[in-house]
Amino acid sequence: MIKYILKRLWHSGILAIVMSLIVFFGLYVVGDPVEMLSDDEFTEQDKIDLAIELGLDKPLFEQYFTYAGGMLQGDFGISFVHNRPVLDLILERLPATIEISLLAMIIGLAIGIPLGIFSGIKNNSRASKIISFFTTVGYSTPNFWQAIILIMVFAVFLQWLPASGRGLTNSMFGIEWAWLSLNGLQHMALPAINLAIYKICMQQRLAKSGTQEILYQEYMTFARAKGITKNRIIRRHLLRNILIPIVTITGLEIGGLIAFSTVTETIFSWPGIGKLLLDSIHMIDRPVVVAYLILITMMFVFINFVVDVMYAFLDPRIRHQK
Amino acid sequence: MNNTPLLKINNLTVTYPLNSEGSDVLKALDNISLKVNSGQIIGIVGESGAGKSTIGKAILGLLDPPAKLVSGEIRFLGNSLVGLSEAQFESLRGNQIGYIYQNPMTALNPVLTIGEQVIEAIEANTDMRGKNAQEYAIQLLERADVSFAEDRLQKYPHQLSGGLCQRIVFAIAIAAKPKLIIADEPTTALDVTVQQSVLQTLIKLSQQEQIAIILITHDIGVIAETCDYVYVLRYGKHVEQDATNKVLQRPTQDYTRSLMASVPLIEKRLHRFALNEEDNLEDTSTGLHYLQEKQTTQDSTNEPLLEVRNLSKIFITPSSLLKAKQSFTAVKGVNFTVQRGETVGIVGESGSGKSTIGRMILGLEDITEGSVIYRGKDLKLITDSTERRAHCLSMQCIFQDPYSSLNPRMSAGENITYGLKIHNLIDNNKAESLAQDLMSLVGLKREDADKLPHAFSGGERQRIGIARSLAYRPDFIFCDEPTSALDVSVQANLLNLLKDLQEQFSLTLLFVSHDLAVIRQMCDRVIVMKDGEALENDSNDNIFEQPKHAYTRSLLDAMPKFQGLAQY
Amino acid sequence: MIDYNKKLATLKLQTKSIFSGHPIAIAGLIGFVIFVLIALLAPWIAPQNPYDLMVLDIMDGLLPPLSKLGNGTTSWLGTDAVGRDILSAVMYGLRLSLFVAFVATTVGFLIGVFLGLLAAVKGGWVESVIMRAVDLKVSFPGILLALMMLAIFGTGVDKIIYALIIGVWASKARLTRSSALSEMQKEYIDAARISAIPNWRIMLKFLLPNSIAPVLVMVPMSLSGCIGAEATLSFLGVGVPITEPSLGLLIANGNDYLLSGKWWISLFPGVVLVSLVLCINVVADRIREHNNPFLKSMNMQ
Repeated sequence: MIKYILKRLWHSGILAIVMSLIVFFGLYVVGDPVEMLSDDEFTEQDKIDLAIELGLDKPLFEQYFTYAGGMLQGDFGISFVHNRPVLDLILERLPATIEISLLAMIIGLAIGIPLGIFSGIKNNSRASKIISFFTTVGYSTPNFWQAIILIMVFAVFLQWLPASGRGLTNSMFGIEWAWLSLNGLQHMALPAINLAIYKICMQQRLAKSGTQEILYQEYMTFARAKGITKNRIIRRHLLRNILIPIVTITGLEIGGLIAFSTVTETIFSWPGIGKLLLDSIHMIDRPVVVAYLILITMMFVFINFVVDVMYAFLDPRIRHQK
Repeated sequence: MNNTPLLKINNLTVTYPLNSEGSDVLKALDNISLKVNSGQIIGIVGESGAGKSTIGKAILGLLDPPAKLVSGEIRFLGNSLVGLSEAQFESLRGNQIGYIYQNPMTALNPVLTIGEQVIEAIEANTDMRGKNAQEYAIQLLERADVSFAEDRLQKYPHQLSGGLCQRIVFAIAIAAKPKLIIADEPTTALDVTVQQSVLQTLIKLSQQEQIAIILITHDIGVIAETCDYVYVLRYGKHVEQDATNKVLQRPTQDYTRSLMASVPLIEKRLHRFALNEEDNLEDTSTGLHYLQEKQTTQDSTNEPLLEVRNLSKIFITPSSLLKAKQSFTAVKGVNFTVQRGETVGIVGESGSGKSTIGRMILGLEDITEGSVIYRGKDLKLITDSTERRAHCLSMQCIFQDPYSSLNPRMSAGENITYGLKIHNLIDNNKAESLAQDLMSLVGLKREDADKLPHAFSGGERQRIGIARSLAYRPDFIFCDEPTSALDVSVQANLLNLLKDLQEQFSLTLLFVSHDLAVIRQMCDRVIVMKDGEALENDSNDNIFEQPKHAYTRSLLDAMPKFQGLAQY
Repeated sequence: MIDYNKKLATLKLQTKSIFSGHPIAIAGLIGFVIFVLIALLAPWIAPQNPYDLMVLDIMDGLLPPLSKLGNGTTSWLGTDAVGRDILSAVMYGLRLSLFVAFVATTVGFLIGVFLGLLAAVKGGWVESVIMRAVDLKVSFPGILLALMMLAIFGTGVDKIIYALIIGVWASKARLTRSSALSEMQKEYIDAARISAIPNWRIMLKFLLPNSIAPVLVMVPMSLSGCIGAEATLSFLGVGVPITEPSLGLLIANGNDYLLSGKWWISLFPGVVLVSLVLCINVVADRIREHNNPFLKSMNMQ
């Protein structure tokens, strides 16, 4: 087990280094870092100064270490548009993204998985076919279109929920959270639902096919032959086995959440890091884009590592691998 | 003694629909009747498609849809088992009737511990809970001859061997002291040496706990050693039933007689298996002619056709960050020769290295040490590419798994002649007729040459494989367990075919098998292997009648004894 | 040689077995074919060429469906802010969306299968490099990667196609490699090697045809994924240029007018987009079900 974790750690470490090398290469060698990090107001002299400051006259590997070193210390540069350190900007907006993503994930798991298991067990029933059809439709509707429909129905026609902004927040642990206020929760509702719909559909499909595969295994029939009641079989045998693929995919899907949050936050004007990214792209605030790239990469490497380790906990065959 | 039978089945019919309307059905069981008395061990024997597993599932209501029980009676202690609700079945299963699966590795849930799975059965069928249940679990494992029972409770199935897992499955089956156990091929998935002891455990449990057993199997030897009474099934229909020794030695039905005649014997070597062979209606003359045209240049010397000198194979897993380099010696310094026209057999259990030797001879694996001399030349030293190719093509192979030895996307005929076409050894237009000729030679229909492999049965696919080897007009054929995956009657037919072909075309065979009886029937000389080493190398009669090595003796002892038909 | 009649007959039979008895899947297939036909015939059947700036008249802007345009024709689905007939815009947008998705999926598929096969057959460092690259790509959600690529390298139809190709190839490569690896264990490959059949023939005639089925099954999914991804990127403004709108961009343009009651500009492109993706997904699901081994063996019993 320890060996497995160490191996995974090793792989993750290599992945992180390779990713940072790719970004570095993309930025400093293929792209022109001076252009990347300067804007229209820079004069020629400013640019030369910047070049020296960035250490572009130094050998390549020294540049990389300076760059990596800066990152490790949290220095990601200054945003052009906001004129503040990029890291501060990102950290400020992170809670908003986390809020709706977490809520969406919880909703997705809570609704999607039971629906999926149900459809897997009662494969040929009417209910199962209807559920599956709906999730296919949900899965086929692009994120932004769902958002538009949600706004039209709930905000414009029914006027139940607000369509933009974050609303009022309260603070906890020194961070402002929207879910701590009723008004904030109302504002969270639509964006979270928007993200959740896709999650529900994915989880339902996954749980359904996973369930069908497991039901087909011989140990399920043998469990019945032992005289175990059906409910107990589902609770014990099915659930334990289905956790493995679900946890794996869920972990990897956190990435999808972050990705789609870009769209959702933009449409609902939700001030999270997704909106920050898009605004920065449109306003050509390159330091922010670059920092986002790096931070997200590291986050993914980390998440993959955690998923791998959890996998080992759940599947004893992996745990005991030589 | 109570005269009501424990289980009585009358005129049971189970069907599978073949189309969505249900108008066309396959009868998995057709009007089957049987009877089991308390404490009896009865056998149900048959080849694939006989429906033997279906009976077991039908009794316990475990038929997989779309299979349907359409008519008949199943009575257990007088009570009908047909049409019971799932809840009623649940109280019956495990409690009164136990079930043992063929493959213990798939019958146990890989993510739950052994303890959890045994205790689960205890709690479902008895009143014991908690500490009591755990102690009882240990007792059960001990009764099933599981060593270190308490430790095993914490382990997972993949950490234990197949034989051990099967014993655990037995323990689970007897947990609630059922009156009847249905054992569906309980030893088929295990190694030969383990089979014997596992079977003994099953018999012991039956006698100790007074449990009746329905033993379902295709292995006649197993039936001979364990059952009092046996039913023979074929394609869902009843063929014959009687006390074991009568059915096995003096069968009344043709099919049974043919089946028993197909079982290879250890006692003596027969010329052919005495089967009711159907006459081959195809014209085989062109095929015969083609093969007899084979060049026989270096024939009449007394030099061996194949010589293996000090052959070794070591598999190395390269070192990585977290583990040192690991090496596994599959073959250690093996020496033997094969004369022209001989059939040499290599027998051993899985992992003995027998297949690896063949793969090295054929060039599929690199040789770590030693050399292979074929037709007087070492392949590694031949530089001329034409000679090299001729050398290679003269050595062919018949593979073990009929379902993976043919290219699924090429027709039978293409599979047979593709190599010849590629090497320009034959014209495209002649290739088609050659394929048909060869197919007729191995007992298949000419017009089937255009069909894809999935249209053929296992035995037929093996024949296509034989035709493919013959297409190159080889001198030497390596037979890698060619019949292990086949039913016993199909095996007998195929082995007869091989013997015929060998005689007609003076082929030299190196025949590998784990089945001693098959080796006894096929080979002139036998090499016994264990863990990569050749332990004994002698003539057929010497090995089987006067084995010198202790391991050979133990292998012979482990084989289930089947006397064969009385006429022998 | 290749018997085309026989191949056609087998194809027809296979299609029949996959789709018969599944009306939804058939509807999806028909729908998809209709969309493709509309896209192909757009230049001839669209009432107006929405990309031709000379034809547009801003006085025709923001008219509801069934209004009459300045030149006397009827606009069936209304017009957008610059006077584009929505019906025509949707047809051309469909054309663009399908074009981008088809090219990206096909090229991504070819690259992925080639690399996957190479990795399986060569092994060693070639395999390691290719598989690490796959791992790298897979650990990133496609949209994000595309977004960032377009942010750094700029937008345009060709750049989107490149970004989408990067999204498609990795999963194909991984699947091809694992499929090929398991085929390589099979004995018919050994039989070919014994008969001294050259490696390239083994790859093309033995390995490839038998490994590719599971990968082909995933292709419709990739297609619909590309359509959705391109739409999202265009909606966000980092996709196709504004002079040649795809369905996503049309929806984005119309978004600003939703709240003022001009619903037709977003709605029609949206409906077409969802329908298109749904049709493909429904067919893709059916193909996947058909190929699934456990369902298959239950039918064989």
